Amino acid sequence: MNSQAIVNLASVAPGSTVRIHSCADLHILVSRRLLDLGITIGSEIHMKRKAPFGGPITCESNGQMFGIRKQEAKKIEVILV
Amino acid sequence: MRTIALAGNPNTGKTSLFNTLTKSYEYVGNWSGVTVEKKVGLLRNKQGQLVDLPGIYSLHPVSSDEGVAANFLLTESPDAVLNIIDSSQLERNFYLTVQLLEYNKPFLIGLNMIDVAKARGIHVDTDKLSDLLQVPVLPIVARTGQGTNQMLSHLSEPNLPVSQFQISYGSIVEQAITACIRALPQQEELPNPRWLSLQFLENNPVVIDKLTSIMSIEPLRAIYEQAEESLRASGEGLHLPQFIRSVRMGFIRQLMEQCVDIKQSEAHTLTERIDAIITHKWLGLPIFLAFMFLLFKLTFDWFGQPLSDILDGFIGGPISDLVNQALTAVGASEFTHALIVDGIIAGVGGVLVFVPQIFMLFFLISLVEDSGYMARVTLVMDRVMEMVGLNGKAFIPFIIGFGCNVPAVMAARSIEQPKERLVTTLLTPLMSCSARLPVYSLFAGAFFISNKAVVVFSLYLLGIVMALVLAKLFTHLFYTGEKSIFVIEIPPYRMPQARSLLRNTWEKGKGFIRKAGTFILGGSVVIWFLSYAGPSGFGVDMDHSFLAWIGGLFAPILAPLGFGTWQAGASLLTGFMAKEVVVSTMNIIYHTPDMSGLETQIKHAFSPLQAYSFMAFILLYVPCLATVGVIRKETASMRWTLFSIAYGLVLAYTVSVLIYQIGLWIGLT
Repeated sequence: MNSQAIVNLASVAPGSTVRIHSCADLHILVSRRLLDLGITIGSEIHMKRKAPFGGPITCESNGQMFGIRKQEAKKIEVILV
Repeated sequence: MRTIALAGNPNTGKTSLFNTLTKSYEYVGNWSGVTVEKKVGLLRNKQGQLVDLPGIYSLHPVSSDEGVAANFLLTESPDAVLNIIDSSQLERNFYLTVQLLEYNKPFLIGLNMIDVAKARGIHVDTDKLSDLLQVPVLPIVARTGQGTNQMLSHLSEPNLPVSQFQISYGSIVEQAITACIRALPQQEELPNPRWLSLQFLENNPVVIDKLTSIMSIEPLRAIYEQAEESLRASGEGLHLPQFIRSVRMGFIRQLMEQCVDIKQSEAHTLTERIDAIITHKWLGLPIFLAFMFLLFKLTFDWFGQPLSDILDGFIGGPISDLVNQALTAVGASEFTHALIVDGIIAGVGGVLVFVPQIFMLFFLISLVEDSGYMARVTLVMDRVMEMVGLNGKAFIPFIIGFGCNVPAVMAARSIEQPKERLVTTLLTPLMSCSARLPVYSLFAGAFFISNKAVVVFSLYLLGIVMALVLAKLFTHLFYTGEKSIFVIEIPPYRMPQARSLLRNTWEKGKGFIRKAGTFILGGSVVIWFLSYAGPSGFGVDMDHSFLAWIGGLFAPILAPLGFGTWQAGASLLTGFMAKEVVVSTMNIIYHTPDMSGLETQIKHAFSPLQAYSFMAFILLYVPCLATVGVIRKETASMRWTLFSIAYGLVLAYTVSVLIYQIGLWIGLT
């Protein structure tokens, strides 16, 4: 398997699909909420859109849409699939 | 009687089902966190009590509404559990299901929104699922009532099958569970010991608190530490709670493989198309503002106002005449006549004329709640809210607050961080509620008739802007290192159903009518009496009445704001009860039976600038009595409650002085 580049979720372009590689630095409540939605390491995430001026990003995972802040998304390491 | 707990993930239709099964009319909406406290209802066939709990993702609570649900299961020990699952989000929903099954009570699963799941290509083998979990599984559609009759008869069966569910967590955890069970006290009122032990080992704060209150927690802590140590030694690389979760997830994955067939998990295409516009990068915020403006146009200009005018003509004309004639015919005394016509009809009738506008407003708010727009608003507003130290979710209480501040303050419960929630709670009363609408309608109608909606819109915006400014200040003052967080679940849009929309509107608007019959009626009688009696006896000239004397005490303080009259002072004082009473008081003071008469009177008493300053003061000055009560309950602190009143007064005074003095200075009148 060729090693793929690890990037942060906030830098991913809308329309792309990624897989979570690590989210260790995430604020504990944010990672708890994501876990509540079934989103954790290994989850596939589809980037929908980004709000302007560093506003929240909208993603979809497993048919569930959710929004999180850009600075938290930066702490989620993902691999493009 | 049997008590059944209704539990499930947020926004899975628990309250919809609750309403159908119990003939209740509890508040429903399409976002996570509509229900923030438990609601109890009698089943339609009177065979049991159903308890609707706030939505939870797991039994480990994060926000205070989730704490309500976890606490209920721990301390109230229901006789049965009804678990509602969103059929299109099975994997995520099953996590709570597993924890609830471990509770080992009579159990029933409702697979809700089975129609939506089917449309998305998700097929669930309910018989297989029921077989594997050893509990009944019923597919339902709570919104239409499909399958709910069957559910009702299931719930009324004398012997509901008790869940015997158990997962094997592997030797390390199982040993810890056994040790915990041994250490637990033998108390009848405690739930299942295995469940309790597992929840303890998962670090559930509600369970830890409960156990600490009845026993020494140290032996349990030692068991926890030992299990953690053994896990580390085994090279598992997970903490104990994470390990327990991973075992459950493994079980769920197997379950999914056996019972669920996902052909093509079709995305919500319509939702996507709507969202492409509504939450568009640049259009999102303008669309939200345009929607708000439309809301005021409909309420104050196009629809609500004309209806109110008709009602006003009717109450001021035929009804007043009829009552007058009747009173004369029965030979009522002058006192009774004055009480009924000048007190009650003027006071209550003067507020009732606003019923159409208030219902219009509530209808539009219900539309936001039912459609799914609410969660999108939090997304659109989060960047702005972040700048002032709050998060986009604070806009949920804010929007509800445009209807009534009381449920709005409670809606702040779904905000995770305690300080953020406190600040949101304190600022929600700045949202201009429907009770303030009659005041604006009256004053804007008298002074700014050609651009009524714009003037009223400016007041609502003033409330929001002040809330943002104060949020910045308060979060700066009160936060000590707490970080603002924001994660929002975005539900698919749902076409609001006419029935539930009308019901939601009615349930909200009904409170206003009830208020007219209680607070406003009582207030009107007292106010009228105070205006009728004076130090020199009854039937005095109003300027020499008790009311004039009381209002006069405030007049000098209010003079710099532009309305230093006893009339304004008296109406502001009475407005604390309920803000509509301001209009009742004015109707009584200015002796007019209808709105157009009052408008003429008010034009003599106020200048347009003074009127605007007065409206701003009404918007900001104090939360009404009911809101103060709910703030007291939610903050559980007298200090914060008094603070909410005090900051309101200071803010209102400052803003009105600025409006009036700057207005005078630049030559407005």
